[in-house]
Parts: sequence; C-alpha cells; structure tokens
Amino acid sequence: MAHCGPKKQRRRRKHKHHFGGDTHKTILLMGLPNVGKSAIFSRFTGLDAMVSNYSGTTVEFYEAPMTINNETYLLKDAPGIYNLQNPNDDAERVAMDMMKDRPEAIVFVLDAINFESSLHLLMQVLEYNIPTVVALNRTDLMKSRGMTIDRSLLQNRLNVSVIPTVALKGNSLDLVKYALSQTIDKEVQYTVPTENKDRWRTVEELNEEAVKTTPRKNGVDRFAFLAKPFPGIPIALLVLATMFAFVIGFGMGLRQFLLLPFFNSLVFPYIRQGVEALTASELLRAILIGEDYGFLIKGIEWPFALVLPYVISFYAMMSVLEDTGYLPRIAVLLDGVFKKIGLSGSSAIPLLLGYGCGIPAIMSTRSLPSRKQRLSVAVMVCFAVPCVSQTGAFIALLAERSVFAFLFIFFVSIFAMVIVGLIMDKINKQSVPFTLMELPPLLVPAPKLLSKKILFRVRHYLKEGAVPMVVAIFFAAILYELGFFPALGRALSPVVSGWLMLPEAASTPLVLGVFRRELAVLPLLDLDLTTVQFFTGALVALFYVPCIAMIATLAKEFNVKTALLVFIATTATALFIGGLFARGYDAIMMLFG
Amino acid sequence: MKPIDTYPRTQSFDIENIHSLSRGEEGTISDVPEMSLLASLGLRLGKRVKLLSKSFAGGPVVLSVDDRSIAVDRELAEKITIRK
Repeated sequence: MAHCGPKKQRRRRKHKHHFGGDTHKTILLMGLPNVGKSAIFSRFTGLDAMVSNYSGTTVEFYEAPMTINNETYLLKDAPGIYNLQNPNDDAERVAMDMMKDRPEAIVFVLDAINFESSLHLLMQVLEYNIPTVVALNRTDLMKSRGMTIDRSLLQNRLNVSVIPTVALKGNSLDLVKYALSQTIDKEVQYTVPTENKDRWRTVEELNEEAVKTTPRKNGVDRFAFLAKPFPGIPIALLVLATMFAFVIGFGMGLRQFLLLPFFNSLVFPYIRQGVEALTASELLRAILIGEDYGFLIKGIEWPFALVLPYVISFYAMMSVLEDTGYLPRIAVLLDGVFKKIGLSGSSAIPLLLGYGCGIPAIMSTRSLPSRKQRLSVAVMVCFAVPCVSQTGAFIALLAERSVFAFLFIFFVSIFAMVIVGLIMDKINKQSVPFTLMELPPLLVPAPKLLSKKILFRVRHYLKEGAVPMVVAIFFAAILYELGFFPALGRALSPVVSGWLMLPEAASTPLVLGVFRRELAVLPLLDLDLTTVQFFTGALVALFYVPCIAMIATLAKEFNVKTALLVFIATTATALFIGGLFARGYDAIMMLFG
Repeated sequence: MKPIDTYPRTQSFDIENIHSLSRGEEGTISDVPEMSLLASLGLRLGKRVKLLSKSFAGGPVVLSVDDRSIAVDRELAEKITIRK
C-alpha cells in the first residue's frame, strides 16, 4: 500500500509494546462479522470481551494474553470483515494493519453458515503466508440446516488444519488450541488465487465439492416476517414495550423489595450510629449523615439503591436483545423512516443504547457509515435520550405521582429526537450511503456469555458511573452544609423562580446536573412541589447538559468545539422549553381555571 | 459493469431488477454492480435469490441467498438485474 508511510509504521510498533513492556508475540483471530470470533476470544482468554450480534462491536478490538506451548502470546480479536483489500473501510484497514504486523499465527473462524464469503476471506488471509488454523464454526447450526461440509477435502485443498467447533458452547476449542501449538512454529507457503475473479471461482468450486445440502422447506424464510412492515412493526413495538416494562418492573422490584430494605435496615442505621459515636461536630454530622445531602447516606442510596437496579435490568434486557440477533431487524424496519432525516436504520442501535448510557452510545456511533451520521446520532443522544440513571430518577420523581406525566416525558424525548435529527440534517446535508447488511440468524443467547456481558456492563457502571456520582454527592454535601446552595439559589433566582416558576432550592439540581444526569432530577424529590412543577423539572433535566463525562466523550470522539456547542445548546434549550411549559400551563390554567 | 458510484442515484432500469420481484418470488442474478460487499454477501452473477420482504417508506428489500438474509437498499436493488 502506497499510503502506508513511515508514520503508520512508527505508531504500530509503539502499539506492540504497550502490553506489559516487552514485545509480545501475537496471535490474530480473524473472520467475518458475527460468526463467533468474540465468543472464541472470550473462551480462550477468560477475559470479559463483549460478544454481540450486531456488526460494529469489535471495531475497537480486544487483546489479552494466552498461553501456547508454555509461551505467552497476545491474542488479538481483529474486527469482523468481509474482505481484506479496501483501506477506505475502517475495519478492513485495522485488520490489514494487523496482518502487516506479521502475527505468529492466525486463528481463522470459518463460518459454516456463511461458507462462501468466509472461504473468500480465508483465501485473502492465506496470501500473507502466516501459519493459520481454521475453526469451522457454528457446526450445530449447520447440522440443523441439514448441511455437511467435507472437512478433509478442505484440509487437503487449502493445506490448513480445519477443526469443527461450536464457539458459543465452547465445543472443541481445546482442539483448536492444540492445532495452534502444532502449527505456530512452522514455515508455511499457501497457494491461493490472488485475483478477485479467480478467487470467487475457486470458492464456488470448493463449495460445490465440499458442501452437501439436503434442501429444507423453510430456512431463513421462517423468520422473514420480522422484517416485513406487517407484522414486523407491531412486533417491534411489542418487543420494545416489553423490554421497557421489564426494565422498569424488574428495576422497581429490585429497588423496593431488595435494595432499599437492605440499605434502610442493615446499612444506614449502623452508619448513623457509627458517625454519631465518632464525632460530636454538628457540621461534620450534617455533611456525613444529614437529611438532605448526607454524603454517607445519599452517596450510597442514590447510586446503589435508586439507580443500580435500573442499570441491571436495562443491560440484562439490552444484552438479550443484542445476542438474539433481533436488533438488525429493527434497523431494517426503521431504515426508510430514518432516511427521511438523513440517517440509516442502523442508527437505531446507538439510540437504543443511549437509553442505557450515553457514553457507550456515542462510542457505538463509530459503526455508522458516515461522520455526518455519527455526529447527528451523538447529538440526538445528548439532547433527547435520557440515560438509565436519569430514567430511574424520572420514575422516582414522576411515575409514583402520575404515570401519565412519566410516559409523556418519553413522548417528548422521541419527538425531540426527530426534531434534533431534522435540524442536524439541515445543517449538514449529505446523501445517505446505500443500506447493505446481513441479518444474522436468530439465536438463543448462551447463558454463560450473556451473564458475562451483563456483569461487564454493570461493572462498567460501577466504575464509570457510580464513582463519579459519589464524588459529586460528596462535594454537594460540603457545599450544601457550608450554605453555598441558598446563595446560588438567590443568584439563579431570576431563571429558576422567575422563568421556570420553581422554588429557589431547585437551582441545586441545575448545578449538580452538569456532573451527573440523574442529579438534575433527584434533588427535586426532596422539595415540596406540585406535579406540574415536577414535570417542569423533569423536562428541564431531559434536555439539560447530558453529563460532564458525555461532554468529554464528545470532545474525544469529535472535537472540543462540538462538545462546547452541545453544552451551550442543551442548557439553552432546557431552560427555554422548561419555561415555555411552565408558562404555557399557567396561561391555560388562567384561561380555563 | 461500471462501479456503483458512477450511477446516477435516481436512474432506474427497464429490464427486470430485484426490486420488481414480488414477495416469495425467485430469480437468477444476471448483472450486478461491482461492489466487494455485494459479492461477499452472496449477490454474485448466477446466484439464485428470493425476495423475502419489501419495506415501507423507501426502506430496503430483504433477500434470501444461500440461506442467508440480506437487506439491500431499494436503489441498489433496482440496479441488480435478474432472469426469472
């Protein structure tokens, strides 16, 4: 490649050193998207790689040490790709760079279901003459489809070991490791066609000879109805509504019947006793266990008893949905509608993820086909998609008073998403690339991989979400007891009382909300407000600054200017719409009441 | 066939294309734009395809080829010609 100058070389070499210190020998895991690469990675390394069914999760690749012949290698999970020739495609370029680094060996995941495309990619990989072992994966699905693949014929023609596996269940992966240990030190020279045309011809011939199929009546057609507008759309709505109901129901149950009683009867009394025994200082007691922002009380209650249950239930549901392979069907159904605002249907996936946490949502926009789409979706998430922490807070604030107000917030969220999308499309007009994607076969998720994934995500919340929340509450407690908030309330009074028609104390969440999304809501709980005022507060919180971590992610993924613009625009929109609602409601009440 | 970028996006063809199939109908691909992803997804000369569903609002069509489901942009589908 002419464009791979010395700069790239340097960067790559630097990368090689970063794990541990010395140069590690690497083993590369290669294959098509969604064929079980990540599952093999997860089984080989025991580390928590994310395994999911939509394309794009491995654009950021994973690496972890693995041992072969008593030697430690670095196993790298290359991005799933269809070809190894187009440097303009991000995933392909990453994979090509990895190949040019000359790994010691390659584990190639040959998908029995996508046999021809897999074989076509395998031949491109073999051109590099790096010792290769082939895992013929998803042989369980192959059998259930009445297919057989002649393994020895493949071995003889391609001169590589071929091991039938079922990666999701972990079957035969030891054999792959064994074959790897036998192959890794060998000098290899593979003979494969190098022109695309010849390669496809060879692939089709091999397919003809090696694969035997007994035709079955209803193959993929069986689930075709899921991608048809009818009944596909009603089913999608039903699935999402069920998901939503589960997230809220399960989360609420976890909170009311398990976590709150646990903390209230087994944790907080002892903390109170302990603090009272240790210090007599009124100020210190107030900061640590005070009624309003007592750090040791709210700092535990908010992140772990109010928000954590919804984080668990959201990621449980989302992970199931991802691993079944159903999400790309939603993308296909919505594709036409999304095109109207200059987006492709796959934008639905980052938006859905945004209901969990905005940070992974913004990162997952990387899998979208253009920068324009990435930016649009990221801005939509920042403006109008409440994260699960905030949803938990909305439930605490609104659902217990008025279910209607709570549901209405979500209608507002969806409506606002469309408006923001339209505006972004106007600002940044560009044609949408062609939609072309595979709908992966529907699967029953493997419990072991599923639980690993949920655990991984909950751990991510504890590290990236709960800890900053505790820190923010800590500072809030100190500032509160030092009398900072009343002063701030007076300063912001023209906005908060004058415009939004809320009490002065409601300025506190506006300040805290910059740090954590749900903190724009939770402090309102302890104020004595009317339902309309609660709703105004919720509306402001919905559009308000997403949270400082999301702004930082925006700056990292796009640039500082974008992040600042979003910061300013969200604040302005939130205050404008909140005030508009409060005053509009007031005016209507005056007219009719 | 010319690379896909050179086609004006609104141009349609008189000969039968994938998009003109009705649901459940099959055909054999007789001409297809040169695009490596199309080939990798199984949409190559001589392949037998079946139309599984059409979407609404200009959304993609879903095809089955080699027992895989592939969603293809409506405009792209109009550029893939078939024999029945």
